[in-house]
Amino acid sequence: MLNKKISTLVVLCSVVAGGMLSSVANAHPRWVLPSHFTISKEGGDWLAFDVTASHGTFVLDKPAGAESARIIMPDGREERPDAVLRGKRRSVFDFHFTEEGTHRVQINGEPNYVTNYKVGKRDTNKRMRANKVERATLLPEGARDVTSTLNYTRAETYITVGKPSEKPFALEGKYLELQTITKPADIVATEPVRFQLFFNGKAQAGVKAEITRDGILYRNQQDQIDVVSDEQGFVDFTPEIAGRYILKASHRAPVANNPLADKMNASVHLTFEAILP
Amino acid sequence: MKVKNLTCLLFSLCIALPSWAKSIPKTATMDIEFVIPNIEASIYARPYVAVWIEDKQREPVRTIQLWVGEDEWLKDLRSWWRKVGRNDRAVVDAVTSATRPVGQYRFSWDGLDQQGKRVEQGDYTFYVEVVREHGGRNYIRQKIQLAEEGFNIQLEPTEETGLITLDYHL
Repeated sequence: MLNKKISTLVVLCSVVAGGMLSSVANAHPRWVLPSHFTISKEGGDWLAFDVTASHGTFVLDKPAGAESARIIMPDGREERPDAVLRGKRRSVFDFHFTEEGTHRVQINGEPNYVTNYKVGKRDTNKRMRANKVERATLLPEGARDVTSTLNYTRAETYITVGKPSEKPFALEGKYLELQTITKPADIVATEPVRFQLFFNGKAQAGVKAEITRDGILYRNQQDQIDVVSDEQGFVDFTPEIAGRYILKASHRAPVANNPLADKMNASVHLTFEAILP
Repeated sequence: MKVKNLTCLLFSLCIALPSWAKSIPKTATMDIEFVIPNIEASIYARPYVAVWIEDKQREPVRTIQLWVGEDEWLKDLRSWWRKVGRNDRAVVDAVTSATRPVGQYRFSWDGLDQQGKRVEQGDYTFYVEVVREHGGRNYIRQKIQLAEEGFNIQLEPTEETGLITLDYHL
């Protein structure tokens, strides 16, 4: 009887701890996958979007929310999808695209804060979901090497109706942002692609990005393309094989004059297709 | 100084060159024979076909044939859509015709560009893109020289196309 109680308690504890850990770790990259990237139908068409968080490229896993989904229209204004459904393994929404040009579909996260610290005789690394203000009351006595990190991820993709827009979308000037120098509808397998990365509105050197192709379950190697942005924030690469890709770019940097964080970890997860040459 | 002058001269020659360029002869025509092969398939749909010409700078000059069904699927002619279709709905409307059944077809190009102007003599590329629902895609490119001499080129069959013959004559 007692044994059973104890084992239940242990299981309960580990479940709680596991749950906390996974929510803090935020380790599953969030991404969006559209049903199509290009619309040729006159007058426009409906497209469907899946939003999930997972470790495999285009393997549905966690029910990431898509309530914050926005469609940036070719003229720069924002629209919302009509309805967002949250399933067990993914969220879905549809949108009726009727305007000619390039649209950005984005599902941006909320800034979330994690505090890392060391504690105890053995310098155990600990982390908790707290910002600089919140941590004051939560940190245990003797906590040291305390840093609070602001995490922010953009999950985005581009949809092109008819002729692509000439003008790129305006930068928000916050966190990490990606501009498609090669137009998304002009990404062709075997041809070079150029994107540009900005951090807090300025072109940023040294941003690391990894690019993986669809179908990770059915090949042995990731076949990942690794790139780092140059002095002007440019990344250049050539997708050799046609298909759907995710580019995951992230940048860590200290932040000054922020009451809530010491560091920032900002990411952009861009989904794009490389069409057949 | 001399070198600079020479460079200037060469430069101006290069710029002036296009105005010297000659159009192809008025009588020049390219006849195209095109075969949609018989394909055994559990679900067979007529293929979508685009036939077009690009110049040396890979700019589209003229869409000669466009056999399609609903415009929703124009984008499946991936290359033609990206290079031509998406940029000019008027061209799409002007050249679209219905899909064709299996058989042999013959059509001609009058040597005029999309604006109705006779093209200049020079190097061009002839393109064919064929896609079929439940089937495959073939994308065929052939460099051609349009000048004052005729030619006859045969393009080998692919999965989605039979023999294609280009006959340029004056």
